[in-house]
Amino acid sequence: MRPDELRRIAEGLGREPTIVELHAFDAQWSEHCSYKSSRHLLKQLPTTGPDVVLGPGEDAGILHLGEHNGVRYGVVIAHESHNHPSQVVPFEGAATGVGGIVRDVLCMGAEVIGLADCLRFGRVEDPNSHQRYVAQQVVDGIAAYGNAIGVPNIAGDVYFDEGFNDNCLVNVIALGLVKESEIIHSRAPENSAGWDIVLVGKATDASGFGGASFSSLTLEEANQEANKSAVQVPDPFLKNVIMRASYRVFEYLREKKITAGFKDLGAGGIMGCTAELCAAGGYGAIIDLDDVNVAVENLPPEVIAVGETQERLCWILPGDATLDVLRIYNEEFSLPEIARGARAVVIGAVQSDKRYVMRHGSEIVMDVPIDFLTGAISEERPSACHGEPVEPSPSSAQRARDEGLRQLLSGLNACSREPLFKQYDAVVRGTTVIARGRADAGVIAPVPGAPFGVALSVGRSVSEAVRKVVAVGARPIGLTDCLNFGNPNNEEHYAQLVRAVSDLANDAKKFELPFVSGNVSLYNESSSGTAIPSSPIIGCVGVVDDLRNIVTLGFKHPESDLYFIATPGLAVVCEAMAKRLVLSASALGSDGLLNAAARMAFAADNDFGAEFGGAQAFVDQFDGWLIEVADPEAFAHLAATRIPSEAWRRVGTTTVADLEGEVDISVGESAHDLDELRAAWSKPLTEIYA
Amino acid sequence: MSARVAVLVFPGTNSESETVRICRDVGLDAESVHWSNAGRLPSYAAYVLPGGFAYEDRIRAGAISAHDPMMDYVIEAAGEGKLVLGICNGAQILLEAGLVPGTAAVRKPTAAFTRNAPSGKFVCKHVHIKLAIDPARCAITAALPNGAVIPAWAAHGEGRLAANAEHLDEITLGSHLAFVYAHADGTVDDRAVPNGSALGCAGLTNKKGNVLAIMPHPERDAWNFNHPDVWRNDRASGDILAPSGGATLLRAFAHAVRAL
Repeated sequence: MRPDELRRIAEGLGREPTIVELHAFDAQWSEHCSYKSSRHLLKQLPTTGPDVVLGPGEDAGILHLGEHNGVRYGVVIAHESHNHPSQVVPFEGAATGVGGIVRDVLCMGAEVIGLADCLRFGRVEDPNSHQRYVAQQVVDGIAAYGNAIGVPNIAGDVYFDEGFNDNCLVNVIALGLVKESEIIHSRAPENSAGWDIVLVGKATDASGFGGASFSSLTLEEANQEANKSAVQVPDPFLKNVIMRASYRVFEYLREKKITAGFKDLGAGGIMGCTAELCAAGGYGAIIDLDDVNVAVENLPPEVIAVGETQERLCWILPGDATLDVLRIYNEEFSLPEIARGARAVVIGAVQSDKRYVMRHGSEIVMDVPIDFLTGAISEERPSACHGEPVEPSPSSAQRARDEGLRQLLSGLNACSREPLFKQYDAVVRGTTVIARGRADAGVIAPVPGAPFGVALSVGRSVSEAVRKVVAVGARPIGLTDCLNFGNPNNEEHYAQLVRAVSDLANDAKKFELPFVSGNVSLYNESSSGTAIPSSPIIGCVGVVDDLRNIVTLGFKHPESDLYFIATPGLAVVCEAMAKRLVLSASALGSDGLLNAAARMAFAADNDFGAEFGGAQAFVDQFDGWLIEVADPEAFAHLAATRIPSEAWRRVGTTTVADLEGEVDISVGESAHDLDELRAAWSKPLTEIYA
Repeated sequence: MSARVAVLVFPGTNSESETVRICRDVGLDAESVHWSNAGRLPSYAAYVLPGGFAYEDRIRAGAISAHDPMMDYVIEAAGEGKLVLGICNGAQILLEAGLVPGTAAVRKPTAAFTRNAPSGKFVCKHVHIKLAIDPARCAITAALPNGAVIPAWAAHGEGRLAANAEHLDEITLGSHLAFVYAHADGTVDDRAVPNGSALGCAGLTNKKGNVLAIMPHPERDAWNFNHPDVWRNDRASGDILAPSGGATLLRAFAHAVRAL
């Protein structure tokens, strides 16, 4: 905390803060909690639209998914980074990232139905390098946690770049399903003065103490050991039981028609969660730290108050419901027997005045105006320039021609991700329609018996994420972002953030899509002052209105026409898919059209290749789709009447084995043998992940 | 009234909802029974132990759960000839409880489902399993055709059958090897085995043939939309919300439950 912030606290309180108050303000006013460098920027992002059920502001956003048997369903989406902890303690850091995002979705009253992970690692070629260790452990941590709680991992991406040598990125997205009439809000309900504040979960310990402010620092090599204590310890086994017990509590509250408040404990621990819950409802709170179930004796009050022990949630409940809810957690789901010290316990009450008070022993260790504690602290920083847009990475499509397609496909950033993601359970819950690898976006059918499904993709830009969702035949309905940048005190790095947010806002408006949730991770910078490459990560949610219209990646037939369509032709692609004119599709990435064709050939169930005749000019395309068309005449008619001729073009056909039994991806005179390509593409990550 | 089936939920189970759903879809009166309601178990006609990580798979998958009080009831029920189906974690628990292959005393396992080979890692992969016994050898498979091939998803970290040579012989000679991993066309070779399992084992039954333990999840290929081939060639034809290949095994189970 900076001296000027300390002064602000003392002035606001009219006295020197206590130790507990100091730690509380430190957490609450940290970058991690308060978005102080980014809040004013994020206001540019569009957040409203016809499909928005709940925009940003609570723990997760909600979009309208569909209606079935007269019930309106919403899809809940939240996005989180766990970069700093994952760099320091990769397995636990990444696992707790999954745990945190799952709680964000759960506490909206939703069932957690899907996960995606977006990873950035440094150079992993050296088997003895720390970078490789991080890249392996992070994946193990995500797998161990997500698999155990039973949420399918359906989408994601991973890239390797030496810019992430000192700071890996671990971003996780979670999806939930909620009936729109049964959403639970992260605030003390109306007329809740005097209601109980109930803490649920793991016994509070000293793990994760200082977590919020730790994540608002650059990682200093020398402090890595000390930083480990700021990382929380995950317990997916306990979380599995808490999730199921919470589903039971949702059921109980619905039966009894009780309105409650529910929020997960994240940054700032008990203090952060209870203060925000009560402040959001216009109330204050009194918390008895002596009533908190602790794992170790004699924890100092500031550790109990702000420590970020994992696997905890908090309810605001009317008195007559409290005993039943305690019984569900403690007896029916036997939390105390599941993990030592775990339980649900009343720790305080909602107060009608707007003060936030904490008692410990016979002392008042904290007594502050609640709005002062939780109020936004915002600062606009100078930035070097609002100058040039960040150029997309140089087109590797160009390299595909220069170095050969095989070379490109064997690169760490283009090769098969299967060795990594096959460690993730993609099919638990039995709702998976498209698992990772078979299309550019994952699809699940979360409502039993309903004809619709939800698609989820991730990308490095709004456009890429949207293209991927469209490529499976879904209609994009909303976005979520995680902005991973360097130290905002550095004007140049800050300028990149400023620029990125304005680009995201423009792109989202162009596609008429709202951002409903997001996360900002700054200070991704090493002691030498080297920041990570600016890394906005975008998640896109789409609705598949009719699951029968889904389109996958793999080529389906020989001698089908292949078309390129530029991104502005989005509506045509959607319509062609709804009319079942598209057999297979891929969103083009920076690796271009040939790479997409190769991936479509690899994903096919039979050996199909592709032939691109005079399509040289289109090989470098990365902004659009490559689609296999079922009825070229009908498709051409549709496209011609809707988009300008330069935005779409027939570029080739699918092929089968020639007389020698060879299947190729060929461009003009040069042919690439499919088996060789597949071998080159399949191999690179097996050494690291198998 | 259809027979009542209990889907057991241990602390750490994660596949109870889809298991209950497909059981109901094939006509069973199924519901999940929670560990704190273990006392209700004797009133059910049959039992399904679903997938997950019961008791965190501490020690070895299924090892702790085999000693959960719920298993006292299951062991007793199996002894009485009631039907018991274990899927994935449920299969591991049945093995650790000694109910399959059932060649020694209960809770004295002679084989284990242990870490996948060669990677030692969790594997999520679409697979096929093939009936390797006379269908009538096991009550749960009795309604299946000879050599039935059933699609399923393997999703486990500890699915490799391991036992010493003597006990592997017991399994083979006693016709306990109910299912082996196979390709979609029914051919059997090492490439079809996702985890290095001895004998290519994907499922075991006991001597009496009333207990079946299978490692991969047929209930996750239960509806057409779950099945990867649905998107092959032309569009999904027919009803993609209808039961799929994996439901075949559950239907055979339902048939057996009703025949009790």
